[in-house]
Amino acid sequence: MSDAGLRARDLVIGYETPLTQPLNFEVGPGEILVVVGESGCGKSTLLSTLAGVTLPLRGEIYSGDRCLNDVPIHKRNIGLVFQDPLLFPHLSVIDNIGYSLRASGQSRDEARARSQELLDWVGLGNIVNQKTWELSGGQAGRVALARAIAAKPAVLLLDEPYSALDSPTRMRLLADVKNLVGLEKIPTIHVTHDHGEAQLLATRTLTW
Amino acid sequence: MYPLIRLTATAWTADTVNALLASTLWQVVLLASVQAMLSVGLSLLIGIPIARVLFTYQFLGRGFILALVTIPFVLPTVVVALGFRSLFSDSIPNGLLLVVIAHAYINIAVVVRLVGAQWSTLDRRMEVTAATLGAGPMRIFSTITLPALRNSIVLASAVVFIFSFSSLGIVVVLGDGSGTRTLEQVLLRSTSVLLDFPTALAAAILQLIVVGLVFVISARVSRHEPRTKIILERARVRGPQAAFVVTATCLVAVTLVLAPIASIFWASISSSGGLTTGWWSGLSDFDNARIGSPLEALGRSVGLALFTSVIAAILGGAIAIAVMSRKAIVATLALIPLGVSAVTLGLGILLAFSRGSLDLRGTGALIPITHALIAVPIVVAMATPSLRTVDPRRYFVALSLGAGPLRAWWTAFGTVFSGVMLAAGGLAAAVSLGEFGAATLLSRTDSPTVPVQIARLLSKPGESAFATAAVLSVILVVMTMSLLLVVDRIASRRVFT
Amino acid sequence: MFRFIAVIMSGAIALTACSSSTDSNSGVQSAPDLNTVRMITHESFVLSPSFVEDLLEQGIDLEITSTGDAGTLTASAILAAGQPTADLLFGIDNTLALRATDENVFEAYTSPELASALPQFIQDTQGGLLTPIDFGDVCINIDDTWFAQEGTSVPANLEQLPEVANLLVVQDPATSSPGLAFLLATVARFGDEWPSYWEALRDGGVAVAGSWTDAYYTQFTPSGGDRPLVVSYATSPAAEIVFAEDASVSEPSTSVLPDSCYRQVEYAGVLAGAENSAGAQAVIDAMLSRKVQEDIPLNMFVYPVRADATLPEVFSDFTPVIANSTSLPPAQVSEQLASLLDTWGTVMNR
Repeated sequence: MSDAGLRARDLVIGYETPLTQPLNFEVGPGEILVVVGESGCGKSTLLSTLAGVTLPLRGEIYSGDRCLNDVPIHKRNIGLVFQDPLLFPHLSVIDNIGYSLRASGQSRDEARARSQELLDWVGLGNIVNQKTWELSGGQAGRVALARAIAAKPAVLLLDEPYSALDSPTRMRLLADVKNLVGLEKIPTIHVTHDHGEAQLLATRTLTW
Repeated sequence: MYPLIRLTATAWTADTVNALLASTLWQVVLLASVQAMLSVGLSLLIGIPIARVLFTYQFLGRGFILALVTIPFVLPTVVVALGFRSLFSDSIPNGLLLVVIAHAYINIAVVVRLVGAQWSTLDRRMEVTAATLGAGPMRIFSTITLPALRNSIVLASAVVFIFSFSSLGIVVVLGDGSGTRTLEQVLLRSTSVLLDFPTALAAAILQLIVVGLVFVISARVSRHEPRTKIILERARVRGPQAAFVVTATCLVAVTLVLAPIASIFWASISSSGGLTTGWWSGLSDFDNARIGSPLEALGRSVGLALFTSVIAAILGGAIAIAVMSRKAIVATLALIPLGVSAVTLGLGILLAFSRGSLDLRGTGALIPITHALIAVPIVVAMATPSLRTVDPRRYFVALSLGAGPLRAWWTAFGTVFSGVMLAAGGLAAAVSLGEFGAATLLSRTDSPTVPVQIARLLSKPGESAFATAAVLSVILVVMTMSLLLVVDRIASRRVFT
Repeated sequence: MFRFIAVIMSGAIALTACSSSTDSNSGVQSAPDLNTVRMITHESFVLSPSFVEDLLEQGIDLEITSTGDAGTLTASAILAAGQPTADLLFGIDNTLALRATDENVFEAYTSPELASALPQFIQDTQGGLLTPIDFGDVCINIDDTWFAQEGTSVPANLEQLPEVANLLVVQDPATSSPGLAFLLATVARFGDEWPSYWEALRDGGVAVAGSWTDAYYTQFTPSGGDRPLVVSYATSPAAEIVFAEDASVSEPSTSVLPDSCYRQVEYAGVLAGAENSAGAQAVIDAMLSRKVQEDIPLNMFVYPVRADATLPEVFSDFTPVIANSTSLPPAQVSEQLASLLDTWGTVMNR
């Protein structure tokens, strides 16, 4: 499905009152749509609407030809990374990454094999069984990214990821994101208030 | 801890050893353990959904329901037991099932408050992340939410287990004698019927051992966890599904809690001649030479509750501060008095003060001290987890800005601390209002507390005795309810803004 | 032999506000011109305030502390034997008295007032150690209204009870003192055959409650239950009137089955090693005075031992003293109690 990309048609977001004009946008495989704006303008609400946490006030969201409006979060096949890595503290690093694979019914061994592959890919092949809270910020960020894309999501949503990290680390991680997304051909929406970051990553930008 | 140590240290004699080795006591331990485990299971089953609704959603009436579910915990057990008897007299016979239901009823508040407190600090984005990774609601609950709540569930289970294991009033009235026997019951029978002291002491020691063991195990099972950034915002109820869940859970909770209380209320307004307000209006001039004035008892209980809450907040707060940075086991140790029956504790305290230079007997200080001892662990249990959620770096930031150590501490922890202390002090007061065991053992004839007076009334034949006991019980419920409402409100303002 | 244990549990008796003989540090709180006497008793002790006021006029400052039930009271007295922190104990009964007197809890005292007691009590002093103050009976109570409505005949004696056992609620003798008294009543009547009597009750469907309160207030028909026969006190019908909602209720709806009654006697005693035994003796004399004896029935719902004490009308009208009440010799109770309870538990499967 990841070939099909994500599309929003006349989408109005907000809780009781609309935060935006009707939005129309599309992200194709391997593209990164960067949403730039000041805090409080509804960037995060957009992501949570796309993810299915918040209901849209109007409009539709499509993944390929499939309308996602009535699809519950866990069936939307999305990857979501927040500001904080939010690793599950009671699981090891490798089981964090394999979480989506286990949820989709894979065996523990299958999940571990794929997770190991991803860990190697993000350059952390040697920290498989470490406690999540012992990881450095950069390591945790990489694990969170690997976890989000492990099940090959139809779309990857990044909500100001790594904003708690120092600038050089963040830039390195964002470069990794760009490479990975391109390789795996995952449509990506990235939210930030940082125009420099937007320029570095964006295939296209969206503001309102 | 001193009264307890004193009690154990002096208790060990050859006579007790024989009684300890007797198989009958161990049989009681086994039976009581099974009963207590079933009680834990049922209270978790009822308490966890209620905790979820009350601590993850913000809605009108939330505070009211939170106060309501706390009522059973502070009601005198004799009142709860009679409420259940009249409610289920036909449908459920005395025995294990009824005892387990009653224990679950009493302990809903333990589960709701302990688990809820941790739930409210849970980062909701964790669950959202799991959902985006393809986990359905059930899977999220079992693989993310439950493990995250693990420590509070373990602690709540330990507390409920101990309460059920050492239960007395409930098993006497609702039990079937053999299958539901507890060590407390053996203790009562040995001290007040058979005068078999070695067995009584063996039972008391065995009880202490089991209590200690349970807390050690629970401390072991608890996981060390890093401080997490906490999100203390409760969600509004959005969408029909959430509205349904919240409404349904609240309705069930209200019905569950109110059913036995309703039968008590009914007894307070009915008589052989039909409905009446006579019991209520007659309260002030109730034949008091025989029982003592109900109004005076009310005043006495309120004063006692105030005193207890202050003492418990000070002591409990100090302990919480001392243990906040230590390992979980230290905090758990402070909880042990919870598991010692109030009666045993009352005896221990009397001993502690009767032989030393501290002669507090007759000054009326003993009951407040006992109540404080019972309430302190509750304060510690409530305060420690909240204090741990505060980032200690705040303290050093304050120090670096030129604040003295005390001021820096207050800057870092003060708001959370004062809020939690208010809440915990309120709960301590509520516990004191309903406490019966120590009060009946330590009270002077002419100055009963409300629960003692209720028990006295219930041991007299005659309609007005029973109905006046019902009136007092209803007043106790209303007082406790108002107290909890006020305190919860103040506390939530302090903590959550 | 209980010395160590005594230290632990002496707490309950230590309550009486001040020092034991070994406790020299504690302060004496009484005014110098008043003669302080400390009395320890059980939860059910009640007398009119005039009791303490009158003693005060005699120069005696009586401090009363209550603790638990009669059993707990006895237990604490035994554990503190020889080192009491009270001077006087009231409320030990004939079921447990021997256990305490065997442990040298009391010192001998015979009140001159005892000569005025009913004949059967004058010698009832457990060897001069205890003074009988009041007595009462535990009996089957009958809901007459229910029997009248149903047209069922009321059982006349213990022997007929098994036929209507499904109408009867008793209490567990291991947790309830009237329950124990009723068990002893059946032992007194049927001797070694008592277990088969209880088997008959069991097979007939008798209900067993854990406490008197549960039996009387939830299972007895006048309280909305479904059992018109309950083990309670001989004076419960009188109490029903005294504690009725309005004064116009003049006749109780319940009565007792005299054949089922078991006699309980309550004693007072001077504690061995008391600081103020003279004062304690004076209090015992006062408790036997006519005024206090006549104050007893409406407060504690038991009968005074004094022969010339007038019973209140509600007592003489509805619950006169049961003439043929039974009781077991204290020695037999003391010896057999544990095995009786065990056997009862086996028979009743509890």
